[in-house]
Amino acid sequence: MSTALYQHFPILAVMVLFLGAFLIVIFGNVKTLRHLIALLSVTVSLGLLIALVKPVMLEGEIIAYWMGARATAGGYAIGIAMEVDALSLFFGLLVATAVFVSCVYSIQYMSHDDNVGQYYTLFLMLAGGVMGLVLSGDLFNMFIMVEILTFAAVALTAFRNTAKGALEAAFKYLVVGCIGSTCILTGTVMLYAQAHTLNFAQLSALLPGNMNTATVVAFALLYIGFSTKAFIVPFHPLAADAHGAAPASISVLISGVLTKSGLYAIIRLSYFLFQTMELGTMQFLLVFMGSMSMFICVTMALAQHDFKRLLAFHSISQIGYVLTAVGLCTAMGVSSGLYHAMNHTLFKGLLFLAAGAVLHQTGTTDLDKLGGLSKKMPWTTAFFLVGAFSISGIPPFNGFASKWMVYQSIYLKAVESGNIGFLFATIIALVTSVLTLASFVKVSQSVFFGRLPKEYENVTEVPWGMRLAMCLFAVLCVVTGLFPDLVTRYLTQPAADAVFNASGYINAMMGSGYAESVMSVPAMAPAVTYVEVGVWQPVSWLLILVITLLAITIVAIGGQYDRVSESVSAPMDSKYDLFFGGEESVYSQVGGEDLFWGFKHNWRGYFSFMHKLHSGIVNDYSLWAVVALALVTLYMLIVF
Amino acid sequence: MSIVISALQYLGYILIFPGFLFCFLVGLLLSGIDRKLVAKMQKRVGPPVLQPFYDFFKLCGKETIVPAAASKTVFLMAPLVGLAALVVLQLFIPIFQFTAFSGMADIIVILYLLLIPALAQILGGAASGSPYAGVGLSREMVTIISCELPLVLVLLAVAKTVGSATGEGLSFSFASIAAYQAANGSLILRLSMIPAAIAMLMVIPGETGNHPFDAAEAETEICEGMLAEYSGAPLGIFKLSHAIKMLTLTSLFVALFLGGIGSGIAQLVALMGLTGPAANGLTVLLGAIVTVLLCIVLTVVSISFVHAVTARLKIEQIFKFYWTVVSGLALISLVLAWYGL
Amino acid sequence: MFKKLIAESTAKSPWLFHINAGSCNGCDIELVSVLTPRYDAERLGFKLAGSPRHADIVVVTGPVTAQSLPRVLRAISQVPEPRCIVTMGSCPQSGNVFRGSYSVVGPLSKYVHVDVDVAGCAPKPQAVIDGLALATKILKEKREAK
Repeated sequence: MSTALYQHFPILAVMVLFLGAFLIVIFGNVKTLRHLIALLSVTVSLGLLIALVKPVMLEGEIIAYWMGARATAGGYAIGIAMEVDALSLFFGLLVATAVFVSCVYSIQYMSHDDNVGQYYTLFLMLAGGVMGLVLSGDLFNMFIMVEILTFAAVALTAFRNTAKGALEAAFKYLVVGCIGSTCILTGTVMLYAQAHTLNFAQLSALLPGNMNTATVVAFALLYIGFSTKAFIVPFHPLAADAHGAAPASISVLISGVLTKSGLYAIIRLSYFLFQTMELGTMQFLLVFMGSMSMFICVTMALAQHDFKRLLAFHSISQIGYVLTAVGLCTAMGVSSGLYHAMNHTLFKGLLFLAAGAVLHQTGTTDLDKLGGLSKKMPWTTAFFLVGAFSISGIPPFNGFASKWMVYQSIYLKAVESGNIGFLFATIIALVTSVLTLASFVKVSQSVFFGRLPKEYENVTEVPWGMRLAMCLFAVLCVVTGLFPDLVTRYLTQPAADAVFNASGYINAMMGSGYAESVMSVPAMAPAVTYVEVGVWQPVSWLLILVITLLAITIVAIGGQYDRVSESVSAPMDSKYDLFFGGEESVYSQVGGEDLFWGFKHNWRGYFSFMHKLHSGIVNDYSLWAVVALALVTLYMLIVF
Repeated sequence: MSIVISALQYLGYILIFPGFLFCFLVGLLLSGIDRKLVAKMQKRVGPPVLQPFYDFFKLCGKETIVPAAASKTVFLMAPLVGLAALVVLQLFIPIFQFTAFSGMADIIVILYLLLIPALAQILGGAASGSPYAGVGLSREMVTIISCELPLVLVLLAVAKTVGSATGEGLSFSFASIAAYQAANGSLILRLSMIPAAIAMLMVIPGETGNHPFDAAEAETEICEGMLAEYSGAPLGIFKLSHAIKMLTLTSLFVALFLGGIGSGIAQLVALMGLTGPAANGLTVLLGAIVTVLLCIVLTVVSISFVHAVTARLKIEQIFKFYWTVVSGLALISLVLAWYGL
Repeated sequence: MFKKLIAESTAKSPWLFHINAGSCNGCDIELVSVLTPRYDAERLGFKLAGSPRHADIVVVTGPVTAQSLPRVLRAISQVPEPRCIVTMGSCPQSGNVFRGSYSVVGPLSKYVHVDVDVAGCAPKPQAVIDGLALATKILKEKREAK
């Protein structure tokens, strides 16, 4: 085995994060030192992964790395392996980017907290856990990484344990997270009992032809276990609680990174390990759960009146898009799903950072209490608007580019398969998008625009470090929105190709020809149709918009548009007061919760039903998990 | 040299036809005809047809007051962005076979571009800080949600019909929709598309915010909602955008359902024995004239008649109406199209 | 040319904002009757605006009570320039039958410059339209003077 230098990069990218965590335990009391260590380790990790882009993404190499060079023995993979194909690297890059920006943000965001050393330790443990998960080539290692990241995430959720609800949220997360971890462990054990190996590549070769009841149950267990990590629908209340309580920099990781790890594992399971995606029934399961997540969470988000809880529900709603697109089992679908996953990390990270900035400066995220911050925090407002436009899919931001592809791939699938279920998935996806816009209109009205309450009159803009972090995400949002063809060509398309290249994945690890020798039929990619639906061309569109805007602005300024009268004197002239029916204006703001009364009134039955379901009691949520597990197991036993 | 010429050509598209100037003139004209007709239906003399032009120029000459509570940049930029997005939208909508700009799957682009003017109004209203604007934007957003579902269903039905007829499976592109209709006659002549066309007609007043779906801009109860704090030129631009939106939606209807008329125009030009650029120019010109006439008819049918005979609906009634009656009609079309009728 | 166009348009598109400064409602009803099909002031471009920010002409009815005065002045100050103030009915001009009441602080002209007075209790619609038409001329002059 020739070992080029870059073959060591994946393990280094993981280890450098863990190393940073341990170093901070030792040197964490010194402020500059801990910032230095944390920044250094995340930067190195990001750099190592970027260095892998060329061989893995562009040249299509699959890196198989055996720790201690213990390769296969007697046809069985014994050693600890890492395997990095384009899919792993794609998710790894997302993780590294989000972790890097979040770390930059944390430096000033966490400056008022106690025990920041422990924060960074846990932060890096979480980052290392997710990184290890997506780069791992071994099911049991994946389980260990799941455990590490779950416990780090639980501890970080409760990091501000003096805040109301933090401990409760962490407890809920712990309980349901443990159910998920147990499912994963049980599934792993059952697979090991059947196949006597835990290596992904070998499992991928051995399992598909030899499905029996035990492996199907194991699949269901693993599927549900990783669903809890991705928070898709029956597990979404946990995400809301966790995000509401966790510091914003951790919310970025939970939504942008942790959910992605669950998603990655689901893709790995269903496209590689069990290779079941060409079955219509399996596609139905993923698309169904995706559409449910999309719709239920977006309606739940409309009913929220806490900024971060609202974002949390949206986070799951967007994961629903990804899951739906990935579940289509078409090249276009997977590619658009991964594109949306990437965009989700970027814009949702940006939105959480904006929420964190609001929390940092005002001390609250309650939509009913805030308002008018755009005059005090113009930068944060601008960044928030970029994020909000992105997530609502307003062109030319990145959300539009990926949603555009998602809609087309779902509808194309619907037309090709003639299955009317996909048609409804298309409609749900399109309607969800406008509901997303609605709830971000709500946030912008109740936090950034509208009236400024008296007590926030002395609020200032956030420090530059936090602005820099938001700026990074905002720039990425715009860039990935403006050049979708490049993103597709260099990032999502290789990753999507990797998804359909199970035999390549197996052979890279087990030696070429292994897949063909073990499996009666060579592990072929499911039937893929690369329909060129094209890529939307935002640059030319933007050019038109800019020219039009410029022309209109010139005409407008020629026609006195700029002759504006503004209030200058300190005691306000009544001319510049708001019109209030002739009265002197007093503070008056439409509360965030009531803003879309006209919509919610018609759905009151649905909302009160949902309200009852989301009881906030951890017993109920555990019950949901068990019921979901039972149903999925049953479904899988029936269909396989 | 050719680059300069094509750049000038595109600039002409953007600024004159079918861009800014065309939108400005026809949009305000439609609005004037609407006002005049409503007055006639109520046995009034009514304002002159050019009244919207007077209103616009008057507003340009007024003082623009920025309230102290408003965030100035968003407050002043929102109308401009909304107008620019509408003009761009108009550039994408084909006039029979002629399109200034066309892209792939531009129907989805249209769906989202239609949100931008409304969003601009919402953000501008929110930035003014007025509580009337708060109520107004809430209603506006609910109106958008209401219209979105039927609009989506109509567009999917059209895409499916054209796609299965041309063998592409589905077609989100205006170019192929126009080409299909030019070859096979207008879509409205297909039985399965009639409910969708009716639904689309009902969507027009909702999207433009005309009576009876103007709860968001109710001047008698919430001081015109989002526009409550706007004065002078920005207000004029919002009024202009409102007028252009009528043109946009009616010409969208023409492009989606009445595209077959384009082939008649082409034949007419061919009969006149013209060829080359003169024929192309004449086709576009006649197409534009016919489109404007059709837009006027559609405005009268879908906006003026409805305005004259109905009273303003409450916001939850608007939502209910669109998500049951109108969506139901559009869904019938979609299901019929799905099963290849 | 552009300036002339704007001035011409100003005369042709006056939007009204109506303030009731303690009126008995008689004039208010007469003002609405001006917009009904019989008299149809919209043929001259008149339109009732919902907010003072949109208005060109402020129509004040009622004798200006002590309670209403600050509200009236505040609303008038919120109307963008050029603007025209029209009093409608005898009350805002003289106090009419309410003159001398402890609560009446009118006439309005004590506090702001009034451009047109339309007298009558209540004035006839024809008189109101005449007064408003006069106000549009003043508006145009104000616009041209700028």
